[in-house]
Amino acid sequence: MKALTALLIILMAPVAFAAWQGTAAVAIMTSAGILGIIYMIGMGFGINELQMTAKEEFFQLIAMMVMIALLVGGDSILNAISANPAFSGSGSTTLQGAANASIDITLANVTALMDSIAETDHDAAIEGSKASSCSILGMGYSVSGCGSYTMLSAPLSMAGGITGFAVGELYTMKRLIELSTAFAFPFLLPLGIVLRTFKFTRGAGGLLIALAISLHILLPMGVIFNDMLGATFLDPPGAADDALSAPYQAGLQNVTLECNPGATGEEWWSGDSNAANAVRGYHALRDNLRVYLFTMLVQATLGPVLALLMMSTGLRTLTSLAGAEVDVSAISRFV
Amino acid sequence: MAFLCDPEFGTFFSENILPLLAYAGSSLAALLGIAYMAGTATSNAKLTLWSKTEAVQFIVSTVSVFLIITTMNTFCSIKINEIAAIFDMPASADNPDIYGAARGYLNDAAIYSHNALTVVRYHLESYTTLSFFNAFICDLSTGRIGWGCLFGYSGVSQQPLGGYAVQTAAMNIFFNGAIIAHFMSLNFIFILLFVYKGFVFLFLPLGVFMRSMPYMRSFGSLLVALAISFLIVYPFLLAVFYLMRNVLVDADNGYTPLSEPMSTYNTNEERMEGYVNGGDMLAMSTGGESFVKGCYFDRGGCYGSGVNIENMSGAIGFASNAFVAAIFFPSIALLATIASVGYIARLYGEEIDLSRITQLV
Repeated sequence: MKALTALLIILMAPVAFAAWQGTAAVAIMTSAGILGIIYMIGMGFGINELQMTAKEEFFQLIAMMVMIALLVGGDSILNAISANPAFSGSGSTTLQGAANASIDITLANVTALMDSIAETDHDAAIEGSKASSCSILGMGYSVSGCGSYTMLSAPLSMAGGITGFAVGELYTMKRLIELSTAFAFPFLLPLGIVLRTFKFTRGAGGLLIALAISLHILLPMGVIFNDMLGATFLDPPGAADDALSAPYQAGLQNVTLECNPGATGEEWWSGDSNAANAVRGYHALRDNLRVYLFTMLVQATLGPVLALLMMSTGLRTLTSLAGAEVDVSAISRFV
Repeated sequence: MAFLCDPEFGTFFSENILPLLAYAGSSLAALLGIAYMAGTATSNAKLTLWSKTEAVQFIVSTVSVFLIITTMNTFCSIKINEIAAIFDMPASADNPDIYGAARGYLNDAAIYSHNALTVVRYHLESYTTLSFFNAFICDLSTGRIGWGCLFGYSGVSQQPLGGYAVQTAAMNIFFNGAIIAHFMSLNFIFILLFVYKGFVFLFLPLGVFMRSMPYMRSFGSLLVALAISFLIVYPFLLAVFYLMRNVLVDADNGYTPLSEPMSTYNTNEERMEGYVNGGDMLAMSTGGESFVKGCYFDRGGCYGSGVNIENMSGAIGFASNAFVAAIFFPSIALLATIASVGYIARLYGEEIDLSRITQLV
């Protein structure tokens, strides 16, 4: 018993050093106090069931204290890792700060790509809508030599939808990390500890604890993890692989879509034609595709999906670990 | 009908629910007494044991009802700022009780998702209207005047503001998302109102009686567990989210994450209408594309201040935040409540599987 007490004191030692840990400790003490009162009432009135319930709940509280102690250690280790510029590149001192900085960079990249796609779509639509007309004294003609550009509308529209999803996911993650920084450990965790003390509210308490830990650690960890994956892809160990990754990190090419609606052949003075212009434009679009792919699919779609799945899976596992079986599969379906 | 903590609700409770509870309790006690006497008279040990067991369960049910009423009164007396002070969080100007805070959060979520809907709709309408704007650019033009049309009709017809397929596709997705978020917040409000208007209290007398009836223990336990969970756990979790409202629904920024106030994204059709009727349309077209676009995306309208209010990425972000505030967090509250139903039923010795219900969320 003495060894167990000593172990507990050692595990709880870091609790004295930071703000949220202090609040969590107060919540644990509050729960212990409530259980003590229940035990005393049971002892005073000779109700064995109450004493047994208080004892049982106290063991749950000890398990919770061990979990919090592990959390303190785990949080410090993760902060140390995430503060490493090799991973985050942001110079942040916390995991959440590093993840937020990473999301900001990805968001800026995706927004820039979205603007670029929108600009291409704008140009293509204007060129595609052009029709040249000429009529004198009721006689004339109308030529729509640029109509083929309208075929770009459907794929660009799809690209807009995908980019929009990516932007939306990034904003959602940004908001969740903002919430975690402000509330996860200073508010949700201690409240969860207190609620978990009572059997009636054990499910709610366990869920709040799991939500706090998932939001505070697993979500930003997913972001950093995806950054590391991306960095490894862009900066492979062997020089021979550069040819593979280079096109994905090249700058965007200018896509110039120009068309003369009245011209049906080559211009005699330049030898240029609408067809040649279109081919040049399509080639530039094709080369840009790989630049879009890395940012859109790896950084802005796979990354958020990975992080959000880590969060929802963590939520499910941690609710069970906290002794509350909450079916959070509905949350996973949001991803 | 009065809400949960209103003084009128006390009248409703004492005049309707308490008598029903008393009827249920006394008739059950009478039934158990008769069963016990019949069991003793006929020396039927099964009957005596059943009546004794059910008497204990009756006490458990009574304690549960007492617990609910006590917790309810406590929730009505605790002010949300008292909880905020414990966690060093900003105080609320309204300072509602726990039940008021729960309702406040869902109201905030509904306002927030509606604001998101407004901003997304504004952008969607703008892009759709602008992309259908046509112009005929005469050949040999000087500014907007084309000499090519002086003696005939020579020039190029085009849509100078066309090509918003990217924006329209993205906005359509988030318009649907914002609508779902808004409807979900209304749905959660209806669930809460169902609780607040007292109908859930009818589960109590029915539950107390049913728990002691043969083969109906699970059903009775479910009713009592539902009453406890929806009267305690669901409002409490929503009240917790109310304390996070400055971040969750940007309550301190006029319920918008954008720097532009909501009034900027004016849903009043006059913004365009005044310029597109009759001859105004012609006059407007000669103003050029930037003039037409400015009617929507200039802060002051067609003759505005020159400040651009187009913010597609911000609108998408707003709709995403609305999803978090109006779907994600209230769903978590509902899931915890449903989980609590199972827990409480287990306390009564019953195993109730509500996992199918959670799939409706």
